[in-house]
Amino acid sequence: MSPGISDENRKRLGRINKNFFLHIHANKVHPHSLKTTYTFGLGVILGFLFLVMILTGVILMMNYTPSIERAYNSVKDIVFVVPGGRYIRNIHRWAAHGMVLVSFLHLIRVFFTGGYLAGRRLNWIIGVCILVVVLFMNFSGYLLPWDQLAFWAVTIGSNIAASFRELTDILGITQVLDIGGFIKKLLIGDDTVGQAALSRFFMLHVIFLPLTLMVLTAVHLWRIRKDGGISRPTAQTVRAVGDNSASEKFYSWPVVMWAELAILLLTVAALLVMAFLFDAPLRERANPDFAENPAKSPWYFLGIQELVSYSAFAGGVIIPVLFLVFLISIPYMDKEDGNMGAWFSGTAGRRLTWQSFGFSLLTTLLFVFIMVRYGWFRNWFPDIPQVIIMLINPATLSALFYITWAVWIKRRTASSRMSAIALFTCTMTGFIIYTAIGIWFRGPNWEFYWSSSQWPVF
Amino acid sequence: MQEPLHTQGHSRRDFLRRFSVWAAIGAGVLASISLLRQFIPRLTQYQRRFKIGRVNNFPVNTFTYLSDRKLFVYRDHQGIRAVSAICTHLGCVIEKSDDGFLCPCHGSCYNDQGEVLSGAATKDLPWFELRKDVDGQIVVDLGRLVLPEEKLYL
Repeated sequence: MSPGISDENRKRLGRINKNFFLHIHANKVHPHSLKTTYTFGLGVILGFLFLVMILTGVILMMNYTPSIERAYNSVKDIVFVVPGGRYIRNIHRWAAHGMVLVSFLHLIRVFFTGGYLAGRRLNWIIGVCILVVVLFMNFSGYLLPWDQLAFWAVTIGSNIAASFRELTDILGITQVLDIGGFIKKLLIGDDTVGQAALSRFFMLHVIFLPLTLMVLTAVHLWRIRKDGGISRPTAQTVRAVGDNSASEKFYSWPVVMWAELAILLLTVAALLVMAFLFDAPLRERANPDFAENPAKSPWYFLGIQELVSYSAFAGGVIIPVLFLVFLISIPYMDKEDGNMGAWFSGTAGRRLTWQSFGFSLLTTLLFVFIMVRYGWFRNWFPDIPQVIIMLINPATLSALFYITWAVWIKRRTASSRMSAIALFTCTMTGFIIYTAIGIWFRGPNWEFYWSSSQWPVF
Repeated sequence: MQEPLHTQGHSRRDFLRRFSVWAAIGAGVLASISLLRQFIPRLTQYQRRFKIGRVNNFPVNTFTYLSDRKLFVYRDHQGIRAVSAICTHLGCVIEKSDDGFLCPCHGSCYNDQGEVLSGAATKDLPWFELRKDVDGQIVVDLGRLVLPEEKLYL
């Protein structure tokens, strides 16, 4: 074999590439890939969370029955009768929420370190697809307990899908081409959420989406290997800085294994503690006759729910689709490969991130303030046509301001990377603000309250 | 006149190759279409027309809520009318408020005529055609909409 390798190192190679489960790793890694403050281990955490999801999910499936008569009681059995069932269900839920949270953090990490540059475009897009699948996995799992929370969250979700009607109504073609109704029917299998919806969501949750996620994850990891490992500053950049000390690759065995074991232990420990301290909620059995007040979706959809309270089509379809299109098109707009591997691409980018954050905070809160304090067009001009509200509301105005800001940054700095940072920071900040408002500041009838202790008592 | 044998054989093999690739693609597409049709629901539990009982069951000058049908029925001394209790925004069940209807999910308000007053709802609540069956029961037809003031006269 290769003459330069000592017996010791050859043994290390064998540990990795003669083991089916470990040969997912490269034989050698670059020290930069193991820097904690670079990756924060987020991708590996996601992988372990997914494993925990599968394990606990299989256990839960043994006692769960996907029928609208039995589902609620079978979940109650899991919580109150099956030994350890409540704990397993809590772990499953916290791992699910963890996957959403860590997926977003991973997206943010990869964006700000320029991980989509230098031929990593495809992998960025696969990553965005994984994020969407993770969200759908969570959403489909949400219906399965068949309690009030589940029923109304999915009723609202399926009607957001049907809000294409708002557009077709304006065009006057709903009778001929009811896209919204078709998507809704395809999703829940009937006109209202019932047994058909439960069967479909169960199938999606336990077979279709996990398999899709596995395939996407495999491609994602394979692409990392093909792209030469986790993103890092290019050789030219490193030479320019003059730091050549830590560019020697070293053998994955055993250093990478220790790092991953540490992440596994921390992840599982966090899950166990969370599952021990906080129970997964189970409300009263689903009642199609009375909506909960307020009826809230899972927290990661509350930003969107806040937006749909302005306009169903704008908030539920236009803005999320624009956001996804923006995410996917980032690597096509920004090709300044030299910026790969450095947080915020340097001090200028770091300053711009803070500026964009402030800009987004101010404009978004301004629109929300106007909306909450003074109402919107319908309160001022009751006869206003819907199309105007659909086009001009806090959601679309924020998006417009973000885009204007990014275009201005592009003019000022003549850098596509800087304008991408501006737009990404603005949208993420806006997303977090709207989500926070949905979680903490909306009460019965979706009215604004400073705290839930001010909610009226019925 | 005649091409050499080996080119003939070559072109036949070529043809068969190309033919089988396209046959596989075509069969795949056709099979997918018929299989994907399975995902479009054909069965439904949704009833378009149903009976809601006799007129005398409904108190006069109030909205009565029929929870299983998601309808508000309003009866006065002249007649009876029925309005949908499903918010036109995102399908939550609305509640009766003092002077109209209120949706708990996103705060859409309607007046007593079902017209949108505020909130994210885009359409007014639909009123449904009522008629009296031979057995004296009121029949609601969700497929036929009427104006808010149209009532079934008693």
